[in-house]
This record gives sequence, structure tokens and C-alpha cells, in this order.
Amino acid sequence: MSTTEKSDQTILVWDVPTRIFHWSLVIGFAAAWLTSEDDRFLYHHVYAGYLFIGLLIFRLIWGMVGSHYARFRSFAHDWSSVTDYLKGLMTGQAQRYIGHNPAGGYAIFAILLLGVVVTISGLLVLGGEEGHGPLKNLISYDLGAASKEIHEPTASLMLLLVIAHLAGVIVESLYHKENLIWAMITGHKPLHADAEQVSLHSLVAVLMLGAIFGSAIYYFYGYFTQTEEQPFLAFKSEPLPDNETWRTECGDCHLAFHPVLLPARSWQRIMNEQEEHFDEDLGLDEETADEITRFLMGNASESGLNEVAHEITRDVSANETPLRITETSFWKNQHRKIDERYWESDVVGSEANCGACHRDAEQGWFEDSNMNLPKIYE
Amino acid sequence: MRFLNIMGAIIVALCTLSVSPVYAGAVDTLQDEYRTAGAGPFSAAEGERQWKIKHKSAKDGKDRSCQTCHGSDLKAKGKHAKTGKVIDPLAPSVNKERLTDIKFINKWFKRNCKWTLGRTCTVQEKGDFLEYLRTQ
Repeated sequence: MSTTEKSDQTILVWDVPTRIFHWSLVIGFAAAWLTSEDDRFLYHHVYAGYLFIGLLIFRLIWGMVGSHYARFRSFAHDWSSVTDYLKGLMTGQAQRYIGHNPAGGYAIFAILLLGVVVTISGLLVLGGEEGHGPLKNLISYDLGAASKEIHEPTASLMLLLVIAHLAGVIVESLYHKENLIWAMITGHKPLHADAEQVSLHSLVAVLMLGAIFGSAIYYFYGYFTQTEEQPFLAFKSEPLPDNETWRTECGDCHLAFHPVLLPARSWQRIMNEQEEHFDEDLGLDEETADEITRFLMGNASESGLNEVAHEITRDVSANETPLRITETSFWKNQHRKIDERYWESDVVGSEANCGACHRDAEQGWFEDSNMNLPKIYE
Repeated sequence: MRFLNIMGAIIVALCTLSVSPVYAGAVDTLQDEYRTAGAGPFSAAEGERQWKIKHKSAKDGKDRSCQTCHGSDLKAKGKHAKTGKVIDPLAPSVNKERLTDIKFINKWFKRNCKWTLGRTCTVQEKGDFLEYLRTQ
């Protein structure tokens, strides 16, 4: 059996900042997972990422200057003690560690390391593909897109490690008959002969909580002050090129679809066929038509001005010249899950009515986070 | 006294000058143009009748009239038949900007006559439409 001597007395093992770190990381990780599938929650997903980065930076510092059991060297055991520990579990001879056991220590290093990879790759995706965050304009769209191939598998690997960590916690809790989860909440563990009492470090904890709540309020503040007329646009992009003639003339009958939404050859064809524009003769005079054509072709999807532009350029093959954005397989794929009833509803009415759901359609941004399915009344 | 008379005449002249173009407005200018082209006189009743006539479209076989998009109440908002885009009320009594811009009026006569009637409108028809609309 283990060498633990059961006692009613407890000592503080996990200081408050370490516990806040642990549970915030749990919440951040869960939030990142839950918001990863649906692009509408990208803004929230990114906050979970920023929280993660902040926590990781804290933990790397705290691993060097924090209290005894939080320091890396207290759970940086050599590899042989890991095998000894695991063998011990099999034979019933496993030593009890007050801090992290050797196997757990390695799991934690691995989680931290993967956390660094996940957040850095996440920032690359955000900067390159979405054009936001600290790396925007610094890295290419392609690098951002490629980073996704690192971001997602690493996150999955991290989930596996989290599961392994949880399994370890349960095994050790049962084996040594002590509730390790509760210990990570209260910070206390039963007294142990060679245990070292740590201090609470409450001031650091207060600063941490202040930073977490302060940043969350700052980040999400717009959602609390938005109105029906002025919805909060998460991820404000740089304004795209604009042209008054284009906006007025095209906006007469429908949303002035931004040039980034189709390749230049499509715009050229649309303008060449202006007397047969979806069953209407636009009858634009030459000067007006020329100005609009120049604007459309100069800022077409090939300009790569934003994510939609890249996606459409990539999607439309060179021998296609779509006249409608809704003809592109990119559009179809993005909208495949939208219920038929939305298109037929009074609020939406038409596939051309982008602005019914995309609150930034007029700006041409089409940010995932700015989508909002309206209430439809039947 | 003589000075005052002259001043008075000048003031009256200035007022008339500055008011008259506004009074004449885009509709009068256009109708004068149509008269020069041989049309007239213009009738609001005839304009209203034409406004409501349904024309069978050669393209989709459906009935089209001005009301398809502008609605049956000119003081209310209309809706583009295809895109659903909201169209501001056409009646000048509720929408002061209507019937004030010649270029704008010409553009929409050109576009909408073609869609609704399948041809351009005659100067007589346009004059009647304007006569009808200005009373709304």
C-alpha cells in the first residue's frame, strides 16, 4: 500500500493564482472547443484564444517564480521516475507525491507546449485568413490557411492529453484515496511528512481576476450596448474601397454587392450585358457604366482584399464566369445549412438579400461573427 | 419715392426669378419638352389609368404594372419585384425628393417602361404619368 499517513490536518499546496490558472484554462479550453465549429462564434473563439495566451504567459512566469509546487522544477522529474511511478501503480507500490506525480508532470508540460503551438497557429490563422488580430497584414492569406492544418490537429491532440490528464487524476485519486479535483479547488491536501506549506499569493490572484474580467468586459462590451438599428459588428475591418456611383446605381435595385464577391471577368460580363441585366435594361450612360466597370474590375475578388475575396477566387475555376454570387459553389457550400423557410420569409425573401443576415454586407466584409439569422414569422 | 419704386420693382423681380424655377420644377420642364415633341395636353386621370394597366410580360408570362413594384398606395413604400429591395414612396406629398430631378426621372422612365411595358414609353404617356404622380 501507499506510504500515505491519513490525517485530518491539511496544508496549502496549490496557491490561488495556480488554481485560477487551472480552472480558467479549463473554461477557456472548453469554450474554444464549443465555439470552434460554428463560424458565427469566431469572435468568442478568439477571446478564448487570447485568454489562453494570457494564461500561458502567466504560467510560464509562475513556473519559475511561483510557489513551490507550481514551479516547473518541482514536477520536472526525470524519465525513470515516470516509469517507476507507472510500474508502482501496477504493483501497488506507487509513491505518493504532494505536487504533480512524474507522469502528471509530463502531461502538464505537454499540455503547456501544445497550448503554445495551438495559440500561435491560431494567431496565424486569424491574421492570415481572417485579417484580424496582432498578425494581420503581416502574414499572407496562404500561410494563415496553412496554419489551420496545424491549429486543428494540435487542438485535438491537446484534447487527448486533457483526457489522459483527467484519467490520471481519477486513477491517482482512487489509488491514494484523496480527491485531487477537490484539492485543485481548495488548494489543500492532507498533511504529509515532508510537505511544504505555500502561501496564498492573493495579490497576484486579484490581479489575475482583474485582468480576466476586465479584458472580457472590454472585448464583449459592444454586445451590451448594441441596438436593433446599430448592431455590434465584432471584428471591425478596414473599410473596403468604395465608389459613390457604384453604390448609388447598383444600390438602386439591390444591395450594392461589393466587387470582392466576384472575379473581374464576371463583372466585365455583367457590365457588357447591362441591357439584359436579369431581365432589366439598366440603360446606364457610357460614362457611368465605365466608371462602375473600372471600380468593379479594379476591386474584384482577385484583389484579395479580404477572406471572401480569397475564397471566391479560389473557388471559381478559370473557365467559369458566374453572373450571380449564388452560383459559386463557395456560396452554396456556405449556405447549405440554411433552412428553406428563411429564403421564403418576408425578412429575407431572396438569396440576393445578403444584408438580412450579414449585418456587414453593405461594407462587403462578410465576417463570420457578423452573421445573424433573423427571426422569421410565418 | 421713385427710388423706393425702383427698389420695389427690383425686389419683386428677384423674388420672381428665384421662385420661378422651383415653381416650374422638373415636371413642368419635362412636360414642356414633351409638348415640343408634339404631345399634350396631359391628364392625371389618363396617367392613373395607364399606371394601373396590367401588361403581360413576354419574358415570364406574368402580369406587370407600375403597381407591381410601387404598390397600390403611392404614399406607402414599395418593393422591388425581384430583389425585394424597399422602394421609397413615390407620392411627392410624403416624399419631397420625388419628381425634382430630371436625370433621375429619365433614368427610371427608361428602365421601368421597358420592364413593365416591354418598350419605351411615348412622350404622351410620360406626360400623363407625371401629371398623375404630381397630384399624389
